[in-house]
Amino acid sequence: MAGIKDDVVIKLTNLGKIYKTGDEDTVALDDIGLTVRKNEFVAIMGPSGSGKSTLMHILGLLDVPTSGRYLLAGRDVSKLNKNQQAEIRNREIGFVFQQFNLLPRTTVLDNVLLPTIYSREKDARTRAEELIKKVGLGDRIKHKSNQLSGGQVQRVAVARALITNPSIILADEPTGNLDTKKSREIMKLFQEINEEGATIVLITHEENIAKFAKRIIKLEDGKIISDVEAK
Amino acid sequence: MKIFILGKQSLVAIFANKGRSFLTVLGIVIGIGSVIALMSLGNGVKVYISNQIGSLGTTTLIVSNGGGLASAGQTGANSSSTSSGIGGSQSSQRSEMGGGSVSSLTTADFNLISDKTKNPDVSTVVGVVSGSGIYNDQRFSVTGANTAVFSVNSLSVDKGKLFSDADVTNKNKVAVVGSDAATNLFGSDNPLGKTLTLGTDSYTVIGVLAPAKANAFNDPNGLVYAPYSAVFSSLGTDRFSRFTVKAGSDSVVDQAKTEIENTLLASHGITNKKLADFSVSTSADLLSTVGNITGIMTALLSGIAAISLLVGGIGIMNIMLVSVTERTREIGLRKAVGAKTSDILIQFLIEALLLTLVGGILGIILGWVLGLIAGHFVGFSAVLTNSAIGLAVGISAAVGIIFGIYPAASAARLNPIDALRYE
Repeated sequence: MAGIKDDVVIKLTNLGKIYKTGDEDTVALDDIGLTVRKNEFVAIMGPSGSGKSTLMHILGLLDVPTSGRYLLAGRDVSKLNKNQQAEIRNREIGFVFQQFNLLPRTTVLDNVLLPTIYSREKDARTRAEELIKKVGLGDRIKHKSNQLSGGQVQRVAVARALITNPSIILADEPTGNLDTKKSREIMKLFQEINEEGATIVLITHEENIAKFAKRIIKLEDGKIISDVEAK
Repeated sequence: MKIFILGKQSLVAIFANKGRSFLTVLGIVIGIGSVIALMSLGNGVKVYISNQIGSLGTTTLIVSNGGGLASAGQTGANSSSTSSGIGGSQSSQRSEMGGGSVSSLTTADFNLISDKTKNPDVSTVVGVVSGSGIYNDQRFSVTGANTAVFSVNSLSVDKGKLFSDADVTNKNKVAVVGSDAATNLFGSDNPLGKTLTLGTDSYTVIGVLAPAKANAFNDPNGLVYAPYSAVFSSLGTDRFSRFTVKAGSDSVVDQAKTEIENTLLASHGITNKKLADFSVSTSADLLSTVGNITGIMTALLSGIAAISLLVGGIGIMNIMLVSVTERTREIGLRKAVGAKTSDILIQFLIEALLLTLVGGILGIILGWVLGLIAGHFVGFSAVLTNSAIGLAVGISAAVGIIFGIYPAASAARLNPIDALRYE
């Protein structure tokens, strides 16, 4: 087993984010401290305005914190420029969004391969095909994204998130557009890849979805108000 | 590899909006098409004229009276003063002989140039003095020359005989008429034995020429030929209008030119070549002059046509801006999975480039077809050169980059969070 320090994928220390709108300062995140270890499955919950989207943007290196420190896989990523951020996103983070996950009129295979265009990774095709089979779309590799159902689109997004073998999967309301049955299927898929070793941070406002995770963190007014093991 | 994949994705995006892409490209097609059509027509004219000059023979040199601009101005001034007071046909004869001023080309010059020991690269010299006369209310052009005029212009006799060296020496007033001149002057009558008047002298027609090949500068069939010595005395001059010189071979044309220049400079007592009162031009000189003129015309017309390319380019920019707005969320997604600013910039530039290059290629085809059709009506063939094709491709690529850079940059600048949230 690796040491405790090596196990830490995400470490946030005194993290804060303040938006300036005119003369007024809006505190979106206030003194957040958070550690996510390898192979965890964390759900971040909170009502709208709680700061969970801001947190997810900072975790995903789509935004930078105003204060504090963010260590991702042992590296301080709180003060990177845009191109460095893009590189880390490409290598270390797999995104699954609520909607517009796929390029239109593009095949399942090409969509899964999208991150590898920007990483100069070669021979990713075999791995992409394996991942597509794993998410249950082996018979739809050459289908165009607009021929897929909502659930299938999210499965392709999961496969794409895994293609670069990232340190962490960030899922932002991945079931927001799905019915209950499809939502459960997708959450089962997340559980499955978590069991196979993936570290997952899930953003959601639904209790039913959050309960698929192993650990649930609740945010309110930019602060962590609870951090518990899921039952 | 990345470029290739991005190119493939750009094609997908272009084909997703087939109708719109086609209309956008149409602007470039028309622009490039008109540039290509005009360039190939311009080249066609150039080739046509070059062939005409080529038919003069590549070994031909023309020695004419007058030097640079200064002497031309002087010639004009003299022309008005000398021609006033001399009425009738004689004034026009004078003005045709070297534009009214006294020509600098003398019989002595003729003999010097013909001297093989001084000018070893000169093979044949034709001394020409031009004039005109009237026969039955018809004006005809007279070329006074030595007998070499027939061999140099490949003229052969059809009826009667050519004038001889003895006729030249003895200043015999005899004339040989070209085939067209014979028909024009005498109709169906037999020209032999008829009398033509030049100045106050009468010339007897002793021969009719077989029809010869004409070119754009010289129609030997329409002329009347007479010994230059006789024409000199009839016109009251002792100067040639020009010399037509044949060099020994293609390779010594330039040497022959230098020899003639040096001979004449010495003979006229001129030390500064810039002040020469004559000029020697070769077929190559004529070709380059014609090339310059047609080149300027072609460039001018193509430049005007290129303005439509500007309009086409603005169309490309417009549609690319629309495309960037429509695909804001795609750009956000790409950035989220790791696309850098430069990746997005390159992707949209490739898209603009593909549009303009497709437009350029279709434009080349359109221009070529237009050139063929237009050439068919104006009577010479349009010539599409590789350099015109290269230029068209280059211009369309440049239009793509110039008008694609702004939309591409605005796409690349998008903030991924805003782009992902864009409704």
